[in-house]
Amino acid sequence: MSNSVNISVETTCENQIREIAYDGTELYQPPPTLSESLAKCAARIDFSKTSLDNIKKEEKSAAAAADDDNKDANQFQESLWPWDAVRNKLKDAYTEICVLTDVISIAKDKRYLVLDPLLEEPDDTKPIVQVYSRKKAISQAAQVLLGGAERIRNAHSEQRSRNVSDFHIELLRLRQNWRLKKVSNAIIGDLSYRTAGSKFGMSGTFEVTKAEDALDDENSGNNTGGSANSSSSSSNNGMQLKASSALRVIVPSELQGVAYIKVITQKDQEDLCTAQVNLMGHGQNLTAQVGVWQKTLEFAQNVLFCKELFAQLAREAIQLQAPIPHVVIGNQIRATLLPNIQLIISLCHSTSFDSSQPAPINDHDHVLEHSLHQLLREVHYKNSHHPFPHPASAPLGPSKKRMLAGPTAADRDALLDMTKTQTILEQIIAQAQHIFMRKRTQYVLDTLARDVKDPQIVSHWNAMNSPTMSCVKINIVTHGYDAIGRTSLVIHVKERSLKCICRDGRVMRLSYEPQELRDLILCQINSHQISCLVSLARCMAWTVLSNSNHLGIGKVEPLGNASSCLLASPNSDRMIAVQIRCDPQIDVKVYIARSPRQDFFPSPLVPEKFWENLGGNFKEVRFDKIEGKSFLNKMEFLMASLTSNTA
Amino acid sequence: MAISSARESLSHALTNRFLPNLEYLLQGSILDSAVEHLMHRLKGLCDNVDTSPEPFHDLEVCMSLRQSQSNQPLLLRVRRALGRDAPFQMRYLGQPEVDIRRPTLVRSCMDCACTNGILDFLSEMGFRLEFEYIAKGYMFRKGRMKITVSKLIKIVPGKQQDMANEPISQSYIVELSVVAPTGQENVGEEMRVFAEQLKPLVQLEKIDYKRLGNLP
Repeated sequence: MSNSVNISVETTCENQIREIAYDGTELYQPPPTLSESLAKCAARIDFSKTSLDNIKKEEKSAAAAADDDNKDANQFQESLWPWDAVRNKLKDAYTEICVLTDVISIAKDKRYLVLDPLLEEPDDTKPIVQVYSRKKAISQAAQVLLGGAERIRNAHSEQRSRNVSDFHIELLRLRQNWRLKKVSNAIIGDLSYRTAGSKFGMSGTFEVTKAEDALDDENSGNNTGGSANSSSSSSNNGMQLKASSALRVIVPSELQGVAYIKVITQKDQEDLCTAQVNLMGHGQNLTAQVGVWQKTLEFAQNVLFCKELFAQLAREAIQLQAPIPHVVIGNQIRATLLPNIQLIISLCHSTSFDSSQPAPINDHDHVLEHSLHQLLREVHYKNSHHPFPHPASAPLGPSKKRMLAGPTAADRDALLDMTKTQTILEQIIAQAQHIFMRKRTQYVLDTLARDVKDPQIVSHWNAMNSPTMSCVKINIVTHGYDAIGRTSLVIHVKERSLKCICRDGRVMRLSYEPQELRDLILCQINSHQISCLVSLARCMAWTVLSNSNHLGIGKVEPLGNASSCLLASPNSDRMIAVQIRCDPQIDVKVYIARSPRQDFFPSPLVPEKFWENLGGNFKEVRFDKIEGKSFLNKMEFLMASLTSNTA
Repeated sequence: MAISSARESLSHALTNRFLPNLEYLLQGSILDSAVEHLMHRLKGLCDNVDTSPEPFHDLEVCMSLRQSQSNQPLLLRVRRALGRDAPFQMRYLGQPEVDIRRPTLVRSCMDCACTNGILDFLSEMGFRLEFEYIAKGYMFRKGRMKITVSKLIKIVPGKQQDMANEPISQSYIVELSVVAPTGQENVGEEMRVFAEQLKPLVQLEKIDYKRLGNLP
């Protein structure tokens, strides 16, 4: 390398510098001789430290010892003789060993001295302090116990004096009837119908707490249990306001108060029938046993139920596509049952009990109330009760009908039919329509039975009927002539129509218009009268020349018409013609004719008497003047009188 | 509750042209002496405690068809409820997957209701009888889970209706199953939680059939 730099390297000095001259030269101390270093090392031996521990310590503090070297060196220099320190130390050690041998020999001889193990002196604790601390601790524990006992005694005596039921007993009763669970320190209950199959989103949780004292109870009574208290005092089941319970339930604000669903059938703004779904009357017996909370919870559950019912109805009202659309405004649903007749379902929820408590509605329809209640319960039941499949490997869920669809090769229409279900609103509308139709039919039949006296109209309503179908049997008889003839017909009252089945097998379908039913009954009365007359004539040996149930005169009705009958006396010299019209009232006309006339005068047109046998002129009889109670009775008299004349 | 309305599932079937169902299954067994305890517990845990448990009495016939291209025969199970007017159920079960990550055994499955001519039809197609047995017991429902506790009864050939048929063992088989469309992974977890609740009485596990040897 051309441009390398020279670096001088020198060893560090091994010996200590003794002196630095003014010119800078360093005078080194000559290295110690072997004897000197031996003396130095020997001086460093500490003969008093002989135990193993000390040696180890010595090794550890080797670094520290290096520093001491300088001091040793000084001592070494000061001492007179290099081995002086060693000698002194050895001498000390020798003295110590001598003393040790003396002690050992004395101890071994046991002549002068006996070694006994010494009792270790215990810690210097004062017993009096210990006694005091123990006493204090015990007294504290006693105080805790006494305090607890005092509380329990107070609670017991209070309970005995105030006759307040125990919180835990009440909780047990609550637990028997309601769902409760413990969440950290609080007790939370659930009053929703979710476990019964409801899918309503609103939560029905309530909180259970211990009522602190009577004052608190009253305060809480104003906001939570107010409705319960006032209702229980108003109801006559013996519940007193004073009967404060040790348990308090806190119901969410949206479930407080009283709710009910009002169903009104309205015709041209006039109420026809009203139903009120209100489950408040339930569980009276239970309430007497248990506390106020039972009432509160029942009310809250009722509110929840009504809300669910109304929400469901409102949802269906919007989804359904009716010819006249349903209207949902606020808390009210309007649906049209029949022309001019409306069903109004409204949710009434009042939080303050007494002010908005409606006056009891007299026209309370228990059937409709029950139906609405039942319909939602049915939905709940169907939600939670699916049929089990058979055989067991079949899938869970499809109904029995749908399981059969494959093997029976159901077509698309049949499958689609299976998917159709009636909503609650549809069902309640159908039921309301039916109730209305039934009332209307009853009204028509009753007024007819009142107005028409001659043949008697007797209607028998079936006691057993379905919510949307009932059945009435109508018998038309004439008093005194029951054996001769009886006309009966059956009317099936459906939702929007009537179905009439006559005895001869004719089936007629009528609409909801009451006039149609009225016409039908009147026509049936007509034909009843004629057919009875025919039978009566036969009994009296008269000959029926002709009869017709539908003359086709007057107003042509689809269900029947004027009817007539022509009778001839046994020896055919008299004839009676009867015509009964039914529009608008029953109108009977009777004509008689006799042939041959007793007085015969030959004329150029009728030269011989036998021509008179062809029949003569009919003369009208003033039927209302004829004696007799009824049409048949009068006719019997008439026929009898005409017969006797010829005899 | 995952049981959708009939209309929905019908439209789903129409659009997809296929019902890709999976069966999630856990099995276990319990001795005859302890089955009462299990029934009590199931009554408490399952839906509709107010009604008594639903009994069933089924005859299962397994038919197999040898396939030329593979040595694994095609198995079809036909099940019939004895003493009850219900359609036969034909069932195809796919290969069970025992995945460690899943809490249950999973196999594809296809159910089909049939008329009573199905066995003749299968015989004509070339299916041969593989085995048959009677399962008799009770079933429970919890949400979409189906729990069956059944006794398997051996059949003496030709005497299906005979009451003298012997039970296979002194214990009941307990099955917990859910049939769900593919892609519903939380089913397994739901079942595992339920199986935990039956724990000391019956240990419901995913049983790997392949390890049981040559059993069909």
